[in-house]
Formats: sequence, C-alpha cells, structure tokens
Amino acid sequence: MTYATSAAGAAPPKPAGSRAGGWRIAARVVSAVIGAIGLALIAGGIWLILLGGSWYYAIAGLGLAATAALLWMQDARALRVYLVTWLFTLAWAFWEVGADWWAQVPRLVAPTVILMILLIMIPALHSPRANRLGARKETP
Amino acid sequence: MTHRLTRSPRSSAALVVCLALPGLASPNPLAAQDAPQQVPQPAVPERLAPGARTEPAPESSQAEPDATGPAAEAPSDPGVEVGADTSTAPPADATTVQEQGPPAEAPAGRDPRPLRQVGADWPYWGGGADARRFSPLAQITPDNVGGLERAFVYRTGDMPSAAAEGKYAAETTPLKVGDSLVMCSAKNVLISIDAATGEENWRYDTGVPDEAIPYSASCRGVSVYTAPELAEDDICKTRVIEGTIDAKLVAVDEATGVPCEDFGENGVVDLWTDIGERVPGWYAVTAPPAIVRGVVVTGAQVKDGQAEDAPSGVIRGFDAVTGAFLWAWDMDNPENADGPAEGETYTRGTPNMWTTATGDEELGQVYLPMGNSSVDYYGSNRIESENEWATSLVALDVTTGEPVWHFQTVHHDVWDYDLGSQATLIDYPGPEGEEVPAVLLPSKQGDLYILDRRTGEPLTPVGEIEAPTAGSVEPDFISPTQPVSEWHTLRKDPLKESDMWGFTALDQLWCRIQFRRSNYEGFYTPPSSDRHWIQYPGYNGGSDWGSVAVDVERGVIVANYNDVPNHNRLIPREEADARNLRPITEQVSGGDGGSNAEGAGDPQAGAPYAIEVNAGWRNDITGMPCTAPPYGGIRAIDLATGETLWDQPLGTARRNGPFGIPSYLPMKIGTPNNGGSVLTGSGLIFIGAATDDLFRAIDIETGETLWSDVLPAGGQANPITYEVDGQQYVLIAATGHHFMETPTGDYLIAYKLP
Repeated sequence: MTYATSAAGAAPPKPAGSRAGGWRIAARVVSAVIGAIGLALIAGGIWLILLGGSWYYAIAGLGLAATAALLWMQDARALRVYLVTWLFTLAWAFWEVGADWWAQVPRLVAPTVILMILLIMIPALHSPRANRLGARKETP
Repeated sequence: MTHRLTRSPRSSAALVVCLALPGLASPNPLAAQDAPQQVPQPAVPERLAPGARTEPAPESSQAEPDATGPAAEAPSDPGVEVGADTSTAPPADATTVQEQGPPAEAPAGRDPRPLRQVGADWPYWGGGADARRFSPLAQITPDNVGGLERAFVYRTGDMPSAAAEGKYAAETTPLKVGDSLVMCSAKNVLISIDAATGEENWRYDTGVPDEAIPYSASCRGVSVYTAPELAEDDICKTRVIEGTIDAKLVAVDEATGVPCEDFGENGVVDLWTDIGERVPGWYAVTAPPAIVRGVVVTGAQVKDGQAEDAPSGVIRGFDAVTGAFLWAWDMDNPENADGPAEGETYTRGTPNMWTTATGDEELGQVYLPMGNSSVDYYGSNRIESENEWATSLVALDVTTGEPVWHFQTVHHDVWDYDLGSQATLIDYPGPEGEEVPAVLLPSKQGDLYILDRRTGEPLTPVGEIEAPTAGSVEPDFISPTQPVSEWHTLRKDPLKESDMWGFTALDQLWCRIQFRRSNYEGFYTPPSSDRHWIQYPGYNGGSDWGSVAVDVERGVIVANYNDVPNHNRLIPREEADARNLRPITEQVSGGDGGSNAEGAGDPQAGAPYAIEVNAGWRNDITGMPCTAPPYGGIRAIDLATGETLWDQPLGTARRNGPFGIPSYLPMKIGTPNNGGSVLTGSGLIFIGAATDDLFRAIDIETGETLWSDVLPAGGQANPITYEVDGQQYVLIAATGHHFMETPTGDYLIAYKLP
C-alpha cells in the first residue's frame, strides 16, 4: 500500500488537503468506533482469560485500541498495526476452527470489514516519517 | 447472518416441548376397509362396559401363537420386579412387570384385527401400522421428481384468533383412506377432503375454545377404525377418532362426518374424567390415539413446568365402538385400573405420554414413549414409581392395560428428555441371528435403540456411562450413570468454548464468557441454580415427535435431528415469586402463559426451584445463537450396522439474516427442525421440518436435494404420500410453528407429476 497522504501537505502548521476537514472527522469517527470495540474486547477478553478461556480477544483488543489511537492522530502506522492484528486474527481463526466457514463468520467478517474501512481511510493518514521530516510534532 | 436463524434454535427447542403433547398413535389395526368381515367378531361389545377389564394378554384371546409367548410370561410371573434398578446395566432396563391387580373377567374378543396397508392409502399416522413412514409407491422417482407440481392447495380455515396468536403449531398429518384425506386442524376441527382434488367432503367442528390451548394448538393427526361387528352400511362402520386439546375423544363417521352416537355421549368421551380439577390448557391431547384390537389407547400432554400437583399421566383404553372405558394404567396405583375410587383421581404428577404410541396388533401391545414427571427439572420429591417408569418405552398389554416390559432411556430425568418420537416396528436379527419382532426407539438425546418387542431386551448394544453430578442442587438424586446407545447416536461431541458463535467477535466473546461461567461437564450436566448450566443436546433433541423413517428393503433409517443446546438455570423460589412466576392454576385464562418458549420462566410450583430455559441458547443481548451452525441435520443410517451412510445439514439460510431480514441465501446452514420425513419405494425422502419453509425431495442414496418448493408457511409437519387413480401424490401441511418461528398457515399442499 501506498501512503498517499504522507507526501502532500503532510507537515507544517496547518494540516491541509486530505488530512483535514472531512477526512479528519471521518478518521476520528472510525477511531472512536474501533477504539470502543477494542476496549470492549480488552475488558471482556481479560474476563475470559481470568475464566480460563482464550487469550485471543484481549490481544486483538489491544491491537484495535492501538489502531484506534494511531488513527485518531491520523498516523499511517494505524494501518500497519491493524494489518498485524488482522493477520494474527486470520492465523488464530484457522488454527481454532479451520475451514468451517459458518464458524468463521464471527471471526473473520467484521475484522475484514474494518480492514477495508482502514484502506479507504488511507488518504486521511500520514506517515510518521513525514512528520519527522517536517521537523515538528503534529499539533493541530 | 443469521439473526433469524438463531432464533430458530430456540424455537425448535420450544417446540419440542410443545410437541410433547399428546400421543397419537395412529395405528389402527383395523381391517382393510373392504375386508372387515374377515375379522373375528369381537365377541361382546356390551361386555366392555365401563370399568370392565379384560384379561391379561394370554391365551385364547390372542390369535397369534407367538404373540402369546412373551406377553403371557409376564402375568405368569406375579410379583417379580425385574431390573427395577434402572441405573445399572442395560438389560436391567427391560423390565418384566408382574401382573397388577386382580384378573378380571374373560377377554371380550380382543383378537388381532386385519391391518390396513400403506401404499395407495396412508392409513395410520406413521404410514403403515408399523409406523415406518415408508410407502412402497414409486411413480415419483429421483429422475422425475424435478417435474413435481402442485396438484391442489387446501386451506382448513383454522387460523389463530387474536387471543391465540403465537400459540399455533398445527403439525397436521392427514390420513388417506379410500378416496379421502381425513385430518384435524390445529383446534381439532375434523375435516375430510377429496384426495385427488382437495375439495372438502365434510367438516365437524369439535368446538375447542382458545383457553384450552396448552403450549400450542396442535393436532398431529387422527386414527381411523373399522368396526367389524357393525354392518357394512351402518353409520360409523368406519370412524375417525381424534383426541382434542380440551381433552375429549371424538368419533365421527368417516364417510359423512356425523358424530358416532354409539360412541360415548353422542360421539364424545370426556378425558377429564377422574383427572381432577378442570384447568383448561393443562391437560390436552395432541397426538392421534393408538387403536389396537379395538381398543383406543391415549395419554395426554400435561403442560410442562406448572406444578408438582399436576394432572396424572395415566394411560387409558376405551372401546373403539362404544367409547366405554376399559382400563387405566396408573403407574403408581395398579388399583386404579378400573378407575379411581369415588372422589379420587389418578395419581397426580406422574409421567405422561404426549406423543404418538405405536400399536402392535399381532402381540396385542401398545408401545408408549413416556415423558417425564411434573415437574421436569427437579426430582428429589418424586415417588418411586415415577423414577421407575419415566422416560421409558412402555409396552402395555392392550387387552388388560397392564405393562409387559419397559425400557428406560434416562434415569432420574431432570432435563425434560421426554421420549418424543413414535417408535417403529421392524424385524431385526436377535441374539441367535434369527429375525425377531423388534421396535426401533429414537430419543431426544439422539440415541437409537432397537429392542425385542416381546421382551424389551435390547438387540443392539446399550452402554451405561458415568454422568456428572457436580453443581447439582440435588446431587443425591442425580443418577451417577446413564444409558446410551452404543449402536448409533445422533448426538454430537460436547461443546467447547471455540464452538461459541455470534455475528461479530463481541457477541461471540460474550457467549464464550457465558460458556466459561456456566456449569458444564458435558452430556447430562445436572441442573444448577448458583449459575446457569448448559444442556446439550437441548430438549428439542435429537429426535422429536417427527421421529425417524425406515426403509427395510434398502436397510436404511433416515433421521432428521436438532443440534442445539439450552442454557438454563434453576430459579430459587424467592426469586421466582419476585418475578411473579405463577402456575397455570393461578393465571388469568387467556393470558400469555403459553406463548413463551417452554421452560422460559416456568414456576414448577411445589418444587424448591422454578426453571428458566434459554432454548437454543441465544445470546441474551443480540438474540443470535451462542453456538455455531448447523442447528439441525438429516442423516441416513445403515439399519444392519448402525453406521452413518451420509449426514447433511437440513435447512438453508434463506429465511435467516442479520436483524431478521431474510437473506434468500440458498446455502445450507442446518436449521432447527421439527416434523419427520416420508420415504418412497423409489428411494426418495420428502421432508419439510426446517425453518426455511422449504419442502424438499432428497435422494436416499446420496443425501442430495433433488427438488424443493417454497411453502407459504412453516412445514413443521410429517408429510405423506398416497395414490389416487394410479397417480402418486405427496402432501405436506404448511401450518407453521410458533416455537420454530415460522409463519402460521392453514395450508395443505399436494404435489404430483404433470
């Protein structure tokens, strides 16, 4: 994938172009949703671990929470973190239930939908390297 | 996906429960219609005056020599109670029971009657008297079934009133006799229609009020009897007999629908007699009676979960011509064989039989799939006879009403594992390899048993497994072992956390947390109160009232089954009172007591706990099922070996989807299902049953679906096949089922080749 955004008005004072306005709102809405899911998964997942159950949900919740935090900042690493989370989910899902497609519905459908949303959000993201090149921290 | 489908599981569970209604045993041992004369005339109908009891099986009254054999042994063995300890080895379960009560006067001509043949006709609820749900008809074949088209659609007109909304599950299966189809509607309207055109011949409304509706308005079928002692042109020579949900036995003339004046009072026998206080909806017949040697045998549904002090599960025999009471089998009190003493009732709260019994004209027996005691989920205060007879297949001598043997399928049942499936008569190799008369019994736990029907001895291996008791509120009552079939079971492996399901990871996670928090030690995890327990299989089965179908030529059993757990909790009495869970006796009539899933907050008055059942274990937040599909399947089993030939999910996802929106996806998901199948001589299986509202034809060799039609309502009914003027028809009722959450209808739809 390409971080289309990074280039452009990446840095300085006032973020412009794709990182501003509608995209910013969109990123924050999506971030809030993903963040809420992530926190729920962390909380429930810890409960499940304490009950002796699967560790997947807490770990996936951490991945989602990190993704949400980065997305809030429109940091392109959000996508990378989420990709890792998604691949981890994929591996876990097949490890747990194999090619039982009905059983895969809760495991793969929603995470893949989130992946697609994040891909759509690419224009809203900027690479952290662009920040550094810009020599400033993002301070909207 | 699947919001809807998730619902279905619950429904199926519920329905199971509901189904638990009455027993219809359809078998009419009667003579073929045109040959009634050949039947030995029952000697003296007048001898069968109410209260008169006929002699125990033996001697002269039985024409079949070998019939006398085993059956006669029982009475000759007075006082011997064999195998009373049902919790041990399997053979012990088959108990030979001693003769109970004093011998009465001589048998009044209770000889075997000629049987009607299945083929052009569908003369018994289960097809032939053997209840195999098999017809030799072969005009419709796997090659031409794709061309099936509707021959006619008949509507009974029996649809729920506003008050009865959500309580309908007609489960209609007509009989086909001569040129007519005879049936009962959901609320027991008797109807005859032309079998080729669907035109109505007559109808007779039995006047059942809405408040009589128990869990469901259901009438699975009727039975037909031809009285050999009546003249050929007598009215009611051939009669249609049904049990109603307001607990009447009704007999009308098969040709005209006129009530039989010689039967009871103007064609009606009141089954509330000697039961106790009339509480509409508590005591209801929903299955066709078995008629054996001129004796109408019926039990009744006793609505589950209400109170310990509930109507008796007594089984009674009545003369098929006069309606006269002949005998009663009160498991706890043999003295009640001639009826209870003045002012008394039959023993209350005893296990009942709500489903269809099977008649055995040759042996003079009737096989009763018994349910559980009232109440279902608590047992410490049950009496010994209940523990002995509950959830057993009981063979009664139909001439005396005395038990010959019984075979128990669960000890100390606290799971509502009623026997719901009608047993099937077959011949099967005995211990020496010779064919012996046998009976095939499916259970809600999914086990298939084959027993010698002369003795109850298992002909296939039966094991006894250790059962968990931890977490029980009554660990001393819970049986430490339980029987299982080592020959074949429809039951799947115990649930694992990874079997939990949902639409997303969030609802799946919630179910996984519930799974870990629940009391679950696998099969037969006992009821608990401090936390929920998981019951798997749930009370829908396994096999329920639709039972299995058997093709003895091909040597194949076809079994459709449910595969859903229940998530339950015993509710302490204080909490139940706080929730205002009241038994049926304290409810306002016409209330919503019957509209919830069975067990979803039942008071169990008299027990220390009420019961809450989450049938199909749906996520309490989303309504999605907590376990992954499939929720039901259909399987072919080798009758000789018990091996699975093929196994397929039954039901597509077309009616299921997120937020209850039908997806119209043709993918097989395997839905809960209720209602059995019919097999044809040409190797086809016809079945509705699933919650996708499809009626389909399946190739018995491969399990492949060859044809289907979309029904206008749920197809939760056993289909039939028959022939008129050389044309084969297949028919199913699309009447829907509230618990299966399929649309209610009043349709009977017949198909034929163009």
